[in-house]
Amino acid sequence: MIKNLYNYREFLKTSVLKEFRGKYKKSFLGVLWSFINPLLQLFIYSVVFSFIMKNDIDNYAIFLVVALIPWTFFNTTIIQSTSTIVTNGGILKKIYFPREILPISVVTSNLFNFLISCLIIVVALIVSGVGISVHILLFPVVLLIQYVLLIGCAYVLSSITVFIRDLEYFINVLMMLLFYLTPIVYDYSMIPNEYRMFFNLNPVLHLVNAYRDILYYQQIPDVSSLCILAVVSFGLLFVGYKLFKKLERNFVEEL
Amino acid sequence: MKYAVKVDCVTKYFNVYYDKANTLKERILFFNRNRSDKKHVLNDVSFNIKKGETVALIGVNGSGKSTLLKLISRIIYPNGGSISVDGKVTSLIELGAGFHPDFSGRENIYFNASIFGLNRKEIDKRIDSIIEFSELGDAIDTPIRTYSSGMYMRLAFSVAINVDADVLLIDEILAVGDQRFQEKCMNKMLELKAEGKTMIFVSHSEDAVKFLCDRAIWLSNGKIKMDDKTTKVLKEYSKECGV
Repeated sequence: MIKNLYNYREFLKTSVLKEFRGKYKKSFLGVLWSFINPLLQLFIYSVVFSFIMKNDIDNYAIFLVVALIPWTFFNTTIIQSTSTIVTNGGILKKIYFPREILPISVVTSNLFNFLISCLIIVVALIVSGVGISVHILLFPVVLLIQYVLLIGCAYVLSSITVFIRDLEYFINVLMMLLFYLTPIVYDYSMIPNEYRMFFNLNPVLHLVNAYRDILYYQQIPDVSSLCILAVVSFGLLFVGYKLFKKLERNFVEEL
Repeated sequence: MKYAVKVDCVTKYFNVYYDKANTLKERILFFNRNRSDKKHVLNDVSFNIKKGETVALIGVNGSGKSTLLKLISRIIYPNGGSISVDGKVTSLIELGAGFHPDFSGRENIYFNASIFGLNRKEIDKRIDSIIEFSELGDAIDTPIRTYSSGMYMRLAFSVAINVDADVLLIDEILAVGDQRFQEKCMNKMLELKAEGKTMIFVSHSEDAVKFLCDRAIWLSNGKIKMDDKTTKVLKEYSKECGV
């Protein structure tokens, strides 16, 4: 796998670039949409959940932004990667290249988009006076876990969707549900104790909690849950890759 | 002598559905309709191609030529048997994979060539000869959505022919550009042949096959009917399938 990826590194690079730059190529505001989009989302959620439905969380906008932007990264990547093999059917039918590059390139181009959006978090933290603490050093660790988890998910979802197209529509609904099952607009501590076991099964919950601990509460995140998540993510990557390699032989005939 | 391409007892079939019941509604309403048949496209095909050989695949429509090329290029996989290829394969089966209409011709050369597995340095080295071969001139820096279909194909062909593969798979490329550009393509192929590249060439044009290939394989109903010198095979072929 590694050798194949190395030989085709230029392809990985250009397809990330193409996805990243092609996205806004014809729009007037261009790459600015990477900022406007999350800012508008943030605005909508903070209006709904702090003006209309009152809550007593300090700095609610900051509380929200440190979780919402990683969530958006997760959400758009999952939805895009689910359909990546199907939408790239044209190229797959034309030419051979290591198919496993496609899911990686979707996740990676979204990663760059996320890193740009992170500027919003940094600016928000500084302007609001919450500031940045030494805990930010753990940020890359959490990001790495998220990246691995996403690639694992992308392998599983993109390959199954080729054979069961309904998955794409199901995932859309599932992600909406997951948004409310993840402590983004509310805090983890608000989840009733007896339901926590169930909520804890959601991997995004641990990611969002870790980001919020690092950036908002400025404390060490829950190490044991992060370790479990890391093991699960690498396991999923391994299983997903195997599944993908097994199913890829029939991709072209199904598309 | 080393073999460039080894095709060993390859069998390929496609599932052909009669009225495939795709949706749940159809599955429930027509539960007995989901019959499928295996359509054998290739049946126990074996041959070897030596390094530096140029081989033509001939046969009527539906005889399995294009399927065989797709199998060799690893776009699809055989159901039985094995195929091994020594060296880098380029398929000129469908040109312009990965072209993005909003990017310039120059950027698209990078996209397209990288799908063939070239790295940046290798592309940088070739970019001038690719642009020169395509005869696009200044148009190379405008988005390719503004190109005519001829310009598009010329660019795609120029990339594919310049990637320096060891084995070239060519499927009816002679529809590229005008008469003069086609001749230029043929000359480029002769040049590559002289350099010792292995080529597998699918064409219905007898002249092109004669011009380029030393050996021809005649496929008929998914089996090899004849495998010999081009002139011999073509003689028999036109006896049976000629007009």
